[in-house]
Parts: sequence; structure tokens; C-alpha cells
Amino acid sequence: MVLITRKIEFSASHLYNNPALSPEENRRVFGKCNNPHGHGHNYTLEVTVAGEPDPVTGMVLDLKELKEILEREVMQRMDHRFLNYEVAELKGQIPTCENIARVIWELLDPKIKQGRLHRVRLYESADLFADCYRNGAAV
Amino acid sequence: MAIDNRSDLAELGRSSAAPLRGVKIELGRRYRFAASHRLHTEKLSEEENARMFGKCANPHGHGHNYMLEISVSGDVDPATGMIANLAELDTFVEREVLDVFDHHSLNEDVEAFRNVVPTTENLCIEIFQRLRGFPKAKLERVRVQETTNNSFEYAGENGRVQP
Repeated sequence: MVLITRKIEFSASHLYNNPALSPEENRRVFGKCNNPHGHGHNYTLEVTVAGEPDPVTGMVLDLKELKEILEREVMQRMDHRFLNYEVAELKGQIPTCENIARVIWELLDPKIKQGRLHRVRLYESADLFADCYRNGAAV
Repeated sequence: MAIDNRSDLAELGRSSAAPLRGVKIELGRRYRFAASHRLHTEKLSEEENARMFGKCANPHGHGHNYMLEISVSGDVDPATGMIANLAELDTFVEREVLDVFDHHSLNEDVEAFRNVVPTTENLCIEIFQRLRGFPKAKLERVRVQETTNNSFEYAGENGRVQP
């Protein structure tokens, strides 16, 4: 098995607020991330696909096709958007790294037909990221 | 961070209620500390130390800017969207690791390295032991980068390294 990873970057804004909590509780739990007009990040997304190289093309999957899937499913949905208000899949969720990575996994998994989605890693900053991967998958 | 009163969360968290089957989510966080060490053991002669550890055995030690990466797993709390509250995680890591190691001599100032060579392999194991008690999420692994050209990972006795 071979792993192949493609990286993209997008910029988006968000805020953390749980309407079930009081303003004071939101402030305590989420800190600056609760500021009412939101804030933004440059996100870096690494998508890893696992598979065997095709004997004819030598490829696990055509990177061009993966690039198009990422453009359609992630960039067009999230790049330069306010995640809380403009991404339907995140409605009703706090747009944390964990939840965004999970949504991206759910969007990409059914679209990848050659090879199998192995890992989604989403960096919110250089020091904070979330990994979503197939449990028990061998490296 | 768990929110105790969840009765009013009809809208929030609804779509994240069911865990994704067969898929695991981890939170990764990076920290930095600067420390000195000397690779030297009394179990070897001075000549053997010099041959084994080279410049790293120089008598007064030397330092590195270490980068520590930790990964934790657990349920994503629908009330916060988080596996673990970052402020709580950061406070824990600061207390257990950064306050102890940062701007210190690993050999002189850390009890665990009084009789154990502070290689980055051993540093990984020591940091894992110190952080495995984090009460809000499961520590999956630690990775320590000693320089940008080498890094080390430890995931416990039966753990798995980077997925």
C-alpha cells in the first residue's frame, strides 16, 4: 500500500458560540474565540489517500482528479467564507478544527473512488490541528 | 470541557451526535521549549562515551530548541465542538512539561535523567509518562523534534505511531 498526500490552503472566518449557554459561560469556555464578529485563519488541509499503484499508470489515483475534488468540495465551500453562516454542513455545530475536519472527511470519503481516503489533517495554525483517520488503518 | 447542562442543545450538536463509524478524530497541538543536555553515561569509559556520543558528550553540554507535538483523542463534545478544551490542555502541558524542561538542563534539573541518558528517545518516553494522566482526553502519542532534521515518536507500550 502507498500513501499519497495533497495539500491545499484556504482562508475563512468563524466564531465559537453555543446558544444554549449564557454570554458569561460562552466567554469562559471559548475565550477570545467567542468575540461576536468572528475572526479568521489560514487553514492548511492535508488529504492522504491509500492504495496500490495502478499497474498501467503507476498511480494510486490521478492527482489532477484529487485536486478537482478538493477544489469542488472544500475550496468552493469554505475558502473566503464565514464558516458559521455559509457552510451548510457545519450548521448546528461549533466550527472547531475537530468538527471541520470531520465535515471534510464526510465530504471527501464518498468522492474518492480510486484508492481509499486514509487521513484528513486540518491545521488551523502551525500549532493546532485535527486528524481524522480510519480507525485501525495500517500505516 | 464538558458542559453539564445539555438539555437545551436541541439545535447545537445535532448533526455531530452520531460518531462517524470506523473513523477516529484526534486533536494535535505543538509546543516549544529550549533545554540543554549532555549525552554521557557512567556505564561507559570516557573513550567509549566519546566514541558513542561524539560532540554530544562534550563535558558542559549543549542545547536545542525542542518542538513537542502531542495528539489526544476522545469524543467531540457537541456543546463545545472540542475533544479537549485547549486552555485546559495547555495549562496541563505547561505544568507537567514546559515549566519543568524549558530553559533547564535536562541532566541536572530533571529527576528522571539523573541516571538515564537524556536522548530524545528517552525524552519522548518521559514526556509521555508525564502527560498520560491528562484527565479530559486520551493521550495517543508524543513526537519530539530535536532539530528540524530529526524527530522521535512514542505512543506508549502498545500504542500506534503516526496514522
